[in-house]
Amino acid sequence: MRHTSRWLAAAAALVLLAGACTFGTETPTTEPTGSGTGSGSPVTLRLWSHRSPAFNGALKEAIAAYTAMHPEVTIELESFDYDSYIQTLQTALPAGTEADLLQMFGTWTCSYAGFLAPVPEDVSTTEAAHEAFYAAPIGGYTCDDTLYGFPHEFNIEYGATLVNTQIAETAGVDWEAGWDSWDAFRADALKMTDSVDGNVLRTGYHFTAADGLSYSFFSLLIEAGGSMLNEDGTAFTLDTPEAREAFSVLQAFVDDGVIDPVLFNDTENWVGDCYFEELCSMGLVGPWVVRDYEEGAPDVAAVTQYVPLPPYNGSSDFVADSGWGLTVSANSPAAQTAWDFIAFTTLDPANAAAFNLSSGSLPALVENGVGAVRDALVSEFPHFEPFFEVLPNGQYVGNLPDRDLLWYEIAYPHLLSGLQGNESVDEMLAAMEREANETFG
Amino acid sequence: MFGGRDGAQKRFVAATMTPAIVYVAIFSLLPIVWAVALAFFDFSPRRTGTPFLGLGADNPFVGLQHFKNMFDFSADAPLEVQQFHIAVKTTLIFAFLVVPLNLAITLPLASMIESVGRRSRVLFRTVFFLPVLASSVGVAIIWGYVLHPQRGLLNALLTKLTEDVTIVSWVADPSMVVVGIPVALLAILTAYLWQDIGYNLVIFIAALQAIPDSVKDAALVDGASAWQRFRYVTLPLLKPAILLTSVLTMISAFQVFDLFQVMTRGGPDDQTRVLTLDIYENAFRYQRMGWAAAVSLVLFLIVFLISRVQARMLRVEWEY
Repeated sequence: MRHTSRWLAAAAALVLLAGACTFGTETPTTEPTGSGTGSGSPVTLRLWSHRSPAFNGALKEAIAAYTAMHPEVTIELESFDYDSYIQTLQTALPAGTEADLLQMFGTWTCSYAGFLAPVPEDVSTTEAAHEAFYAAPIGGYTCDDTLYGFPHEFNIEYGATLVNTQIAETAGVDWEAGWDSWDAFRADALKMTDSVDGNVLRTGYHFTAADGLSYSFFSLLIEAGGSMLNEDGTAFTLDTPEAREAFSVLQAFVDDGVIDPVLFNDTENWVGDCYFEELCSMGLVGPWVVRDYEEGAPDVAAVTQYVPLPPYNGSSDFVADSGWGLTVSANSPAAQTAWDFIAFTTLDPANAAAFNLSSGSLPALVENGVGAVRDALVSEFPHFEPFFEVLPNGQYVGNLPDRDLLWYEIAYPHLLSGLQGNESVDEMLAAMEREANETFG
Repeated sequence: MFGGRDGAQKRFVAATMTPAIVYVAIFSLLPIVWAVALAFFDFSPRRTGTPFLGLGADNPFVGLQHFKNMFDFSADAPLEVQQFHIAVKTTLIFAFLVVPLNLAITLPLASMIESVGRRSRVLFRTVFFLPVLASSVGVAIIWGYVLHPQRGLLNALLTKLTEDVTIVSWVADPSMVVVGIPVALLAILTAYLWQDIGYNLVIFIAALQAIPDSVKDAALVDGASAWQRFRYVTLPLLKPAILLTSVLTMISAFQVFDLFQVMTRGGPDDQTRVLTLDIYENAFRYQRMGWAAAVSLVLFLIVFLISRVQARMLRVEWEY
């Protein structure tokens, strides 16, 4: 029995040792026999993406179009659900087992820059890319003036609000005229609010979900003339008069009874659910939400329009955080082909437009934000129309140490707590600035 | 080495045990060893370490620094430390509420079910066990509907009873606190108990059935009342079952994740942030894997120590 125990212990130790040894081994993800296009030698690339029917469909079409022109290239698409994808990247990149092509959300890119290949000069220079793309989406792929990929889309969560036109018309609100000030907007939102004995049954404007509240605050902050970061980008500047001013604009909605931030926030009555269940007359969330909910709530989708948010202090600037795009692994042995495919699907205006039309996403290329492509996108996705007006105003949020941490663990909880009256404005801004600056490490 | 009859036996043992050992080594031992190692590094998978497991370089060895930081109770302690303190407190409150409440519900219920006729017993046992079979995410969603402020069953019932429009946010109002315990935490506790009591109920019913009738009859002959028979005969004989259920319930209460994630995601204002949620968020959302590994070791130590104390307190020296 003692021998058996030893044998089993030895087997277990071997397994542990083998596991430990293979963890750091770089496993080739492809078996290339040629360096890329034009050589005629077969090349196989793996492409990892997050799982989204619309985006995966568009990627498959892009792959089909590219491989039709380059029959020697095979691109294998592997998709993961969102949470799994983040975890897969986190474990595969340090282990060197990632695919050749990696779909990235712009704000992630700089976090993984050490594992990614910079864009070769013959594909594009940083300056050329910044001219070709809107500032916000390309900003995410630029780390210390080095470019690590290109965006497919302009992700937008701010700039226009969902409006239930039926409720608006019943309340006597001329939604088509839009609003030229936040006071006018708030007055109309109040008309669209349904309350009984001080209890808000239906809010006129839901902006207090995590994304909506953070984007609103930071966008109003820059519209008020402030800045999220100091000049050299080394510290947050959130405890400022401009930040107080931005918060007061949001606080006025609560004070006037347009919204109760206890009943409407990220966990209670989340804006998408709330709007399509008609518990919100207007709501701040990106246009992707319509596609997600229109099948379940066709009646609400049929009376839904997006209307631009009013300017503040004469400015319509807003903070935006890039969009989905493609990068290349630093370990890829077929990087040249990988970059050729990325240039094909993101830099070529016709192919980029095809991707946006197929995925239902807003264009990242400036050239596709105007003219025929814009018209084609609007005719296919009418909800995009107001967003085209504001795309040039999008300012990249910046390469923050941890954007999600700032958005969801620092800004949102403090802002919500402030709106709920559990923190004073002074306490809230001081805590936000302190905690945000801790993220610089 | 493995010759003869004895050798055949050893080969059989090796052949049957090896797959299990390999499985446990890969999927249990290796992750545990890795987690323990990570607890001593400031490790983030986003950063580039040395070729050796990604440790070192930008993922430096920090020794006991994570554990030292856990004892920083100052007002300007880092956010993750403050959240850890909240998570420890919330987890302990939750676990120490769950165990007595669970036992207070299941023990009398099991006695009652045991005292009814055989057919009714099967029916009740099935009814009370059914929620155990439901997925936790499903349970969380169902309770979300019950507790919804505008359209929830609970508020509708209160509106009916009070004839006043009642809109209470049971899981998102940080100002709602009962004897120092957030109502949101009590809401999750309710959902958890609803789902979980079936397990202990079945264990207690089995334990009750195992008590010899002769012991109960002897108490009856001695003139003991129903309460005295339960208090002085049944309850002491249930001690091993109580130990088992309290340890299992305590461990599972420390591990609850899905109800918290779906019902509140730790809110409002971190009032329902428990250690499992804290570990998940730090490790997989914010990539602070070294810190998350240190927190997971603390969770292990807490569960281990409490289980040991429970085992010592409820130890019995006899069998029947």
